[in-house]
Amino acid sequence: MLRKALVYLALLVVACVTAVPFLWLVLTSLKGSEDVFAFPPSLWPETFHFENYADTWNAVRPNFGRYLLNSVLVSTVTVGLNVLLASLAAYPLARMDFRGKKLVFLLVLGTMMVPEQVIMIPLYTLVLHLGLVNTLAGVVLPFCVNAFGIFLLRQFYLTVPKELEDAAVMDGASPIRIWWNVLLPLSKPALATLAVFTFVGAWSNFLWPLVILQDRELFTLPVALSYLTGAFSANFKFVAAGAVIAIVPVLAVYWFMQRYFIRGLMAGGVKG
Amino acid sequence: MLPDAQGGPAPVVPVALGRAKARRWSGSVPWLFLAPALAVLGTFIFYPAARVFALSFQDYSFVSDAVWIGFRNYGRLWGDPAFRYALLNSLLYLLVTPVLIAASVSVAFLLDTGVRGIRFFRGLYFLPVVTPMIVVGILWGWLLNEDVGLVNYALLALGLVDEKVSWLTSYPLNLFSVMFVTAWKGLGYFAVIFLAGLTTIPKELEEAAALDGASRWQQLFYVKLPLLKPSIALVAVISSISALKVFDELYVMIPGAPAAEKTLVPLIYQTAFLDFRLGYASAISVVLFLMTLAFSFLNLRFFEGKNDA
Repeated sequence: MLRKALVYLALLVVACVTAVPFLWLVLTSLKGSEDVFAFPPSLWPETFHFENYADTWNAVRPNFGRYLLNSVLVSTVTVGLNVLLASLAAYPLARMDFRGKKLVFLLVLGTMMVPEQVIMIPLYTLVLHLGLVNTLAGVVLPFCVNAFGIFLLRQFYLTVPKELEDAAVMDGASPIRIWWNVLLPLSKPALATLAVFTFVGAWSNFLWPLVILQDRELFTLPVALSYLTGAFSANFKFVAAGAVIAIVPVLAVYWFMQRYFIRGLMAGGVKG
Repeated sequence: MLPDAQGGPAPVVPVALGRAKARRWSGSVPWLFLAPALAVLGTFIFYPAARVFALSFQDYSFVSDAVWIGFRNYGRLWGDPAFRYALLNSLLYLLVTPVLIAASVSVAFLLDTGVRGIRFFRGLYFLPVVTPMIVVGILWGWLLNEDVGLVNYALLALGLVDEKVSWLTSYPLNLFSVMFVTAWKGLGYFAVIFLAGLTTIPKELEEAAALDGASRWQQLFYVKLPLLKPSIALVAVISSISALKVFDELYVMIPGAPAAEKTLVPLIYQTAFLDFRLGYASAISVVLFLMTLAFSFLNLRFFEGKNDA
C-alpha cells in the first residue's frame, strides 16, 4: 500500500515537471501585459485575454496564418513523399532477389550515420545551384525520404505471408500491383507509424529552414517563432500564443496516433 | 513490437505450376522501385557527405571561386580559440547522457511497476518529446529568465537561494541549463525505450530472486538493471550523438552566444552562414562528422551483437 502511494507520488512529481511548463505556457498566452512581467510572476492570469490570439495572429506581417500554412504544407508534403518513396524502396529490399541487394541495403542504412548538421554547407550550395534556396520545395526536398522509413517498412513487408504474394503472381499481377494491392493494404500500421514520425520531425525541423529561408512569407512556424522571440522579446504573450498555435497540431496528431508513435520508437530507436 | 531486426531475405519457395522463384523479377524491376529513394539519398546525403570533405580543403566563400589550399583549414583549427572552445563545450555537453540515462531509467522503473494509469502518465511524459525544440527552448528561456522567471521566483520563495541565479547569462551555468532542457525533452522518449527493455525481462527471474529473499530494491539493482545493459548502451549512443548535434535549444536560449560559449554546430552555422567561410566551416564539420561516426560505429557493433544473440 505504502509502496503504491510512493510510486504514485513519484509519478506525479515527474508529471508536474513535464506538464507544468506547458500549463504555464498556455496561461501566459492568456495574460494581460501587466501580468506578464510581474515579479513575483503570477501563474494564473488576473483576467483572461483570449484576444491575445487574435492579436498575435495579426501582429506580424504576413499574418500568423501564413506561417501555419507553410508548416502544414512542408509537413504534409514531406510525409506524403516519405511514405511513397520508402514504401516503394522497401519492396525489393524485403521481397525480391537481385544482385547488389545487400550493398544497397547497407548504403541506405549508412545514410543514418550522416547528420544533417555535418552536410548542411554542401547541401546549401547544392540547393543554391538547383535554384531552391528561399523556397519551400528546398525545405522539403532533402528530407523527402530517409533510411529509417525504408528500414521500418522493409521489416514490416518481411512479415507479409509469402502465399499472398504467390497467389497474386499466379493471377498475373505485375510487381506494382502486388505492391499496391497486397503489400500496402497489409502495411497500414507501419505506414501510419512512419507518417506520424515524419510529421513530428518535419513540424519541428528548424536548422535547415533557418539556413535556406530568407523571406518572412516563407517561414515555417519554428523559424517564425525564433524570429518573433527576437523581435517581440518584450512581448511574451504574443510569442506564448504563437507557441501554443504551433504545438496544438503536433500534439493532436500525437495524441490520436499515440499507438503508432510508441511503436515506431520501440522499433527503431534510431531517430535522435 | 515490430518483427526482429534480423530480417534478411525470406526463403525462396518454388511456386506451384513450375514458376520457380516468383520474386526474381526481370533485372530492372527492383531498381525501378528503388530508383526514387536512391536518387534522393544519393543527391542529398551521399553527394554532400563527399563534398564536405572536398570543401574542407578549399578556401571558399559565396562570392569568390573556391581555391584548393590543402590542409591549411585543418592547420588553422589548432590555433583557433573559437574552435577549441566549441570542441570543449561540445565534449562538456556529452555530460547530458549519463544524467539522461539515470533519469529515464528511473522513470521507466516507475512506469514498469504496473500500477494503474500508466498510459496516462506515459502520455504526459511524452508531451515534451513531440513538442518542437524551438517551443521548448522559448518556454524554458522564460522559466529560467534571471529577472522574471518562475524558477528563480520559486527558489527564492522556498529559500533555496539567496539571490537570483543567472541561469542563462553566466558561463558555464548557461550551458548546463540548456543541457537540462535537452534532457527534459528527451526524458519520455528514452524512458519508453527502457520500458520496452524492461518488459522483455521474464517474470520468472524476478520471482526466482524474490524466492531467494531479494528485496524489491535488490531485484531492481541486481536483476533488472544488468539486464537493461543493451538498452542503456543503445541510449548512450543515441543521446551522445544528439548531444554533439545540439543547435536549436542553444540558438533560442543563449542567443548571440560569444565564441567561448558556443558548441560545434552553432560555430559551424556562424562560420558558414554569417561569416561566409565555407571551407573552414567544412573542416569543422568534418571534425564533428568523425566524432559522430565514432559513436555510430559503437552503435553498429552493438546492433550486430544483438542480432547474433
